[in-house]
Amino acid sequence: MTKFEKSSLLLMLKVNGEEMQALLEGPHVTLADVLRNKLGLTGTKEACRCGECGSCTVLVDGTPMLSCSVLAVAVRGKEITTIEGLAKGGELHPIQQAFIDSGAIQCGFCSPGMILMAKALLEENPDPTELEIKEHIGGNLCRCTGYIKIIEAIQLAAKRMGKGAA
Amino acid sequence: MSTIQLKKFEYYEPDTVSEAAELLKEYGGSAQIQAGGIDLIPRLRSGSIKADALVNISNIPGLEEIRYTEGEGYRFGAMTRLRTLDFCPVLKAKYPAVQAAIHQITSVQSKYMGTAVGNLCLATPASDVAPALMAYDAELTIAGTGGERKQKLCDFYLDYRKTSLAQDEFVTGVFIPEPAANAGDAFFNRVRTHADIAKITVAAVVTEKDGVCTDAKIAVGAAAPTVIRIAKAEDLLKGQKIGDDLFMAAAEEAERAVAPISDFRSTAEYRREMTRMLTYRALQEAFERAERSER
Repeated sequence: MTKFEKSSLLLMLKVNGEEMQALLEGPHVTLADVLRNKLGLTGTKEACRCGECGSCTVLVDGTPMLSCSVLAVAVRGKEITTIEGLAKGGELHPIQQAFIDSGAIQCGFCSPGMILMAKALLEENPDPTELEIKEHIGGNLCRCTGYIKIIEAIQLAAKRMGKGAA
Repeated sequence: MSTIQLKKFEYYEPDTVSEAAELLKEYGGSAQIQAGGIDLIPRLRSGSIKADALVNISNIPGLEEIRYTEGEGYRFGAMTRLRTLDFCPVLKAKYPAVQAAIHQITSVQSKYMGTAVGNLCLATPASDVAPALMAYDAELTIAGTGGERKQKLCDFYLDYRKTSLAQDEFVTGVFIPEPAANAGDAFFNRVRTHADIAKITVAAVVTEKDGVCTDAKIAVGAAAPTVIRIAKAEDLLKGQKIGDDLFMAAAEEAERAVAPISDFRSTAEYRREMTRMLTYRALQEAFERAERSER
């Protein structure tokens, strides 16, 4: 049995392929807090902090999770992907580029969560229908775009990524 | 946005069910079981629940398993995620109302993280999953320091957010009996927006033979302090020739059996009326499916 006391602890996390360590005040610290406040990875947003809005979404071993409702200690040893991990060598990920090209980013607060949800979807289902896209981002709120351009961006990314693979 | 920080707690990852039960006993009610955490962490943050310790059961082997035995039924564990159930072809084929109740949950992240058992253990009357499982007469396996016990889901809820669980107990799994070959089901709910919890939920599972109802189970959510079965409506249906008049009579029984409140989601009056209408429609659809499935 593993136990963490109420006292501070040094936690190792694998974020975007890099081993990182953070000093936590205790096991009660959430993954979102560690990413933003300990590791300076502020690309992960927190809007509601109660699991309703999806803006804090990160991928844990490829699975979308709400980092505001995940304890950092619970994901030790797992691969965490944040929005900062998508661009490679200064080049944007095709989904990021599609969001820009489709005008799917306005204030940008929902974008990291939306883009990571799109990544999880396209890895599982490279050619999703419009309904599948809508269902997949059902837990992500956007208060600017009205979603249409976000859906178009994911369709564009699917098209471009599908071509790249062929 | 809530700016409140989580209060400190101890954190455990037990390796066995009995270790988890011992921890619950040791803390005497001040420890919380953590499965997906999608409800637990926000509620700890808001202060609506308190915990000196969290007992994360996700490392206990076997709790994620799904097992279906033809002719017997379908089992899943306390750590089986909603997403896994949503995409389980057996669940969809054998218990479509349960799959429908899970599928309509909007947040995909909540389904990846959250568990069906976690949803049941919140004991919220507005659960969509509980009415569907209750209509299928699901049974819970409950572990404690004294061993294991079984309890029907329809007997599990005592009051609003109150279950039969003792301080050292937690639910380890769910068993849904094999439906009869001539069974049909239906699931309906009404919501303000799809991301919100239900204003009213109705699930029905029925069997029929030669146009006569041989069995019926109806469960209603968000219309009483707990999710409830509507025994009077079920009794009224059994042995009777099926038809719209019978469905409406049963639906009226359902309306009389509920005790809804008015809140910002809906009025009690609306909930009572929708209990009747959705029960009527659920019976129509469930018997239609039962007739189609009859060989």
